[in-house]
Amino acid sequence: MRFPLPLNPHETARELIDLNQKVLKGMENLGRIREQDIQGGVSPKEEVYREDNLVLYRFTPMVDRPFPIPILIVYALVNRPYMVDLQEDRSLVRNLLKLGMDVYLIDWGYPSRADRWLTLDDYINGYVDNCVDVVRERHGGGPINILSICQGGTLSLCYTALHPTKVKNLITMVTPVDFHVKEGFANLWAGCDAGTQGMNIDDLVDAFGNIPGEFMNLGFLMMKPFQLGVGKYIDMIDILDNDEKLRNFLRMEEWIFDSPDQAGEAYRQFMKDFYQGNKLIKGEVKIGGKPVDLGKIRGPALNVYAEEDHLVPPPSSIALQRYIGSTDYTLRSFPVGHIGMYVSGKVQRDLPPTIAQWLKERG
Amino acid sequence: MHWTEQTETMAKALVETQKQVWKQWCELMPGVPSPTPFYSGPPGQGGEEAAEGFKAWTAESAQVVKDVADRLLTTQQELLRFLELSLRAWKTIAPKIEAGEDWHAALFNFTDTLRRQLLQFPQEIQKAFQDSNELWRLYCEQWKGLVQPWTESMRRAPWHFGQASAGDGSALIEFTNIYWDAYERTFGRLLESPSLGHSREMNEDLLKGFDAWLDYRRASFEYQVTLGQTWIHAFEEIMRRLVAQAEKGETVPGVRQLLSLWVEVVDHTFTEVFRSEEYILLQGQVVNAATAYRIREREIADAFLKASHLPSRRELDEGYRRIYELRKEVKELRKAVQAIKGEVSARATGEAVGGKPADLPKDTAGKPILHILSPSACWTTTVATTVPPDEQ
Repeated sequence: MRFPLPLNPHETARELIDLNQKVLKGMENLGRIREQDIQGGVSPKEEVYREDNLVLYRFTPMVDRPFPIPILIVYALVNRPYMVDLQEDRSLVRNLLKLGMDVYLIDWGYPSRADRWLTLDDYINGYVDNCVDVVRERHGGGPINILSICQGGTLSLCYTALHPTKVKNLITMVTPVDFHVKEGFANLWAGCDAGTQGMNIDDLVDAFGNIPGEFMNLGFLMMKPFQLGVGKYIDMIDILDNDEKLRNFLRMEEWIFDSPDQAGEAYRQFMKDFYQGNKLIKGEVKIGGKPVDLGKIRGPALNVYAEEDHLVPPPSSIALQRYIGSTDYTLRSFPVGHIGMYVSGKVQRDLPPTIAQWLKERG
Repeated sequence: MHWTEQTETMAKALVETQKQVWKQWCELMPGVPSPTPFYSGPPGQGGEEAAEGFKAWTAESAQVVKDVADRLLTTQQELLRFLELSLRAWKTIAPKIEAGEDWHAALFNFTDTLRRQLLQFPQEIQKAFQDSNELWRLYCEQWKGLVQPWTESMRRAPWHFGQASAGDGSALIEFTNIYWDAYERTFGRLLESPSLGHSREMNEDLLKGFDAWLDYRRASFEYQVTLGQTWIHAFEEIMRRLVAQAEKGETVPGVRQLLSLWVEVVDHTFTEVFRSEEYILLQGQVVNAATAYRIREREIADAFLKASHLPSRRELDEGYRRIYELRKEVKELRKAVQAIKGEVSARATGEAVGGKPADLPKDTAGKPILHILSPSACWTTTVATTVPPDEQ
C-alpha cells in the first residue's frame, strides 16, 4: 500500500519549494505595503458630534436629494465600525449612499481606563440617545431609521424598546437575541449553562477593570482555532502575488485584531444579564432602572441574519420574532458567515438594495 | 515504487526541502547568517533563524504586515513539521497494513510516544507540585519586572495554538500559559526590596498570592493536558482517514489537499471538544483561577505602589469613578438646561403670537425657575430636584 499522496517524492518536494517561492515573492509585496495603503473607512464623511470617546459621523451623500429619513448605524462595542466601510468595493455604507440613503455612523472609539465605570445605561440612554437626538435635530426632529449590527443590534433593541417614538424603522443585522442557543460557542463559553463556573464575570471585571480587547479576540479566534490560526495563512499563499487581494487580506487582518477594550461595568452587565441570564427575552433586563420589554417595539423591524454565522448562530437572531411587538416584522437571511455579511460580494450586491427598498416602502 | 522506498525517498526529499526553504528565506533577508549551520541541524532550526532575520527585515513595515509575515513564517514551519510527522507515522503503520496486521495498535503506540513527548513539560510541573520549596522558588521567579505583558501574551496565543496543533509541545506550553509569560516578567523586584520583604502585610499578601498561583498552575496543567490529548486524537483521525483512502485505492492529489484535510480534521476535533461540558468547565477553571491570581497580584502591586508613594490601581479607579459620576451629573444638568431653554423659548413664542404661555417648571418652593440659566442657579435646581418627595 502506498501513502495516499501521489508520492513522487521529488514532485512533492517541488510542490513545497514552489509554494515557498510563492511565499517569498509575496513577502516582497508584503514588505512594500505601508499603513496608509490598508486603512479602512474609505467613504468621505464629516464629524457632526463628539462626546467623550465617541464620534458621530455623517457620510457625504452621493445623490442630490437623499432619502429624507436618515439611517444611523449602531455598531458593536467589541470591534471597530470601519468594517461597514472597509474598502470601495466592500462597503455597506457606500452602497447605501449610492442608493440615495443619508447615513450616519457612531464610532465608539477606544475606551480608556477612565471609562471603566461606563454602564449600559450610559451607552444606551446616554450615547445612543444623544446621537439619535443630534440626527433628528438635523433632519426636522422626527423619528429616524436605525441600522444596527451584532452587539449594536442588541443595544438598539433595548434603545428602541425604551424610546420607541424616536425610531421610525429598526434594522438588526447578525444580532444576538436569545443568548442560550447552544450552537454558539460565545454563549457556551460565557456561561449560558455553566454560569460562574464557566466564567466568573465579577472577578474578571474586578481583576482587569476594562476587559482587554485581546482577551475578547482570543475567544473569537478559538471558535475556529486551526482555520483562523493556520489554515487562513495557508490559503493566503495563493493571493500573495496579487497586490489588490493582498491589501484586502491585510485590511481584514487589521480589522480582526483591532479590538477595543471593553468598559468594565458595561461588560459586566452585558455578560451577566444577556449571556448568562438571558434576560433580554425574559423581559428582565433593566437599563437605567427601566425594564426593557421587546414587546414595546411596535414599529417596522427588518431582521437580517447570516445562515453560516458561527458567532451569532441563526436561531439566536431568529428568536426576535417571538418577542418583538411589531406587526410589521421582516426576516431575511444570506448564505454567508458573520463576517461575510460585510465583505461577501453577493451580500454587498443584494443587502443594500434590500435595506433601501424596505425603508422606502415604509417611508 | 514500494512504500518503503517511497517513504525513505520522501523523508530525504523533505529534509532537502526544509533546507531549501530556509535557505531561500535567509537569502531573501539580508544580514541573516549563512544557512550552512542548519543544514545539519534539527528541522526547526532554520525556521528560527529565518524568523530572527525576518524581524529585522520588516522593521519599517506596518504592524499588521509584521504580524502577518510572522504568521506566514510560522505556518510554513508547522506545515513542514506536520508533513514530517505524518510520514513518520505512516512508516510505522504501513508494514502492519501490508502484512494484514492490526495497524491501529501501531498507530496507538506511535501517538502514545507523541503524547508523552507533548506532555513531558506538564509532567515536570506536576512533579514540582510535590515540593513546596521548589514551588515557592518558582513562584518567586514569576515576579520579575513591572512590565505589563498580559495583553501581548493573549495577542500571541492563537499563534501558539497553531504551533501546538502541529505537534509542537513547547508551543503548547506557550499557548496554555497565556498568562504565564506575564508572571515571569512581573513583580520579582518586589521580593528584592528590603522595605517590603520584611513587611508582615506584604508577606501575607504574597502567601495569598502563592495559593492563587498554585490554583492557577493546577488549572492550567489540566487544561494543557486536555489540549494535548485533543491534538493527539486529531492526528490519529488524520491517519485513520489517510488509511481509509489508501485502502480504497484513493489518493490525496497533492500537498495542498493534504493540508486542507489537516486543517479540517484538527478544527473539527477541537470544536467537538470545545463544545463539551467538561471542556467548558475546564476552561472556566483556567480563566477563573487566572483571574483570581490577577486580583491577588493587584493587591500586592497596590501595596508596593503605596509604599513607593505612588497612587495604586484602586485609588486611580476610585478617582476615575468620581470623575465619571461628575461627568454624568454635568451631562444630566446640560440636558435639563436645554429642556428648560426649550420651554422658555416655547413660552416666549406663545406670548408673541398671543397664545397662552406654557407652564414653567417650578422649584420645590413653587417658584418658577427662569433663573436656571445662570450657572449657580443650575446647581440649586439639581439639588431641589433630587430631594426625596417626603422631605419636600
